[in-house]
Amino acid sequence: MPTTSHRPVAVFQVHPAILAIAALVAMLLQTLLPLKLPSPLAGSMDFPLLIVIYFALMRRDKVFGIALGTGLGLLQDALSHGYIGIFGIAKAIVGYLAASASTRFELESLLARTVLTGGFVLVHSLCLAALRHALLEAPPPFQPIATASAVLVNVALGLILFQILDRFRRPA
Amino acid sequence: MFDPNSPDLTRPVQAVPHEGPDMPAFVRRHRSFFILLVAVAAQILLLSFQITRNNHVPLIRYWAVEAFDPLERSLGGLMKVSATAYRTYGHLWRAEQENQELHVQLVAAQAQIQRLGEQAEESQRLRALLDFKSQLPFQTAAAEVIASSPSPLDQPGENSRVLTAIVIDKGSDSGLTTDLAVITPEGVVGKILAVFPHSAQVLLITDPSSGVGVTLAQSRLQGILKGGSNSFCDLKYVMNEEVVNRGEAVVTSGLDQVYPKGLPVGNVVNIGDGSIYKTIAVKPSVDLNRLEMVLVVLKPTAAEQQAQNLSLRP
Repeated sequence: MPTTSHRPVAVFQVHPAILAIAALVAMLLQTLLPLKLPSPLAGSMDFPLLIVIYFALMRRDKVFGIALGTGLGLLQDALSHGYIGIFGIAKAIVGYLAASASTRFELESLLARTVLTGGFVLVHSLCLAALRHALLEAPPPFQPIATASAVLVNVALGLILFQILDRFRRPA
Repeated sequence: MFDPNSPDLTRPVQAVPHEGPDMPAFVRRHRSFFILLVAVAAQILLLSFQITRNNHVPLIRYWAVEAFDPLERSLGGLMKVSATAYRTYGHLWRAEQENQELHVQLVAAQAQIQRLGEQAEESQRLRALLDFKSQLPFQTAAAEVIASSPSPLDQPGENSRVLTAIVIDKGSDSGLTTDLAVITPEGVVGKILAVFPHSAQVLLITDPSSGVGVTLAQSRLQGILKGGSNSFCDLKYVMNEEVVNRGEAVVTSGLDQVYPKGLPVGNVVNIGDGSIYKTIAVKPSVDLNRLEMVLVVLKPTAAEQQAQNLSLRP
């Protein structure tokens, strides 16, 4: 029996095509924007992560969150020059945590979204650092300032993106 | 038909009780968490085929070797210990066998050493006897002591046994007769008392019935040596007025026509005055309790007797 909050929560739904298009656009932005924007800013953005956070929070389904995070993460790995599976693991964990949090927190307030998004981005960064440290023979050093800036950048992007995606959801 | 707008897609999926295979309640309650673990594990496995370490060794192989290395080391160590124990046991068993064989050889070698030692000692005695015999101016015949005759005067319980007669392995077939002197390189032993075809009985000088004509080497006093008490002899017929020194050597005088003149008999150990004659105790120079080989002085011819008397004169 899934644990659910007893407080009244708004349940939304979105067309699967919207989900597919959103994921596709996120991947395109992730691969094209670094060519147009300054490197530090472009390197901090993670559109697929924001998609995973948004739809996992909205669907409130842990299995869905795991599947979405794994899928988008593996796709992002495949389009990058790194090892396939790094982003997949990190985004699967974020998808699971986001779906778990959706049953416990009120997600309509801006503050809640900001805090949760920042927390999940931080968790994502920490997962990546832990995996690189555990698996790679010469992992890159952990950079707290770069991590903090990534959190701020993605939170700002998320607030904008979430507002856009909210237009396509319908109450269940 | 699948309805994408179905409210069920947005609502959390509720666990549907089913009658399928029995899953633990714990796993059922945390199904999504275990799905996450499976997804993460699968991607880690995927990464392990891509990431390399230590000169392009895939991480999956690195982990597999690291995982099995302790087991292989433990099993290898166990096998090594077992082999070492077995080998050590074998070595110990062979060492024990060799030890027993060496012990037997040692016992045999010790017995042989003792036998050879006795043979060597006997050889030395025989050589000494032969050397002494060759120096004598008279003919002698070597004989081995084959039996002893304790004194009939021994009292039960006495610690020392005084030998007064012995039996030698030469008899009449070797030309022996009675009253022949028996000597050793150390001195006078006695004289032949009885002769048998292949053996002879020798009366020792310690027997009370024995008498040897003797002379004190320094004072030149003459007397008769008779067998006494214990293992000493008594020198008789020395006047009280005469001076005798303790430790003075006693030699044969030759006057008894049995013992050649000048042969060592013993030493004075005790001197006392009697009624007329001194009581002089003489310790024989020969250990009469440890006789093994002796020389029997054969009767010389008249010419040999004269030559002997001249050569033995001090």
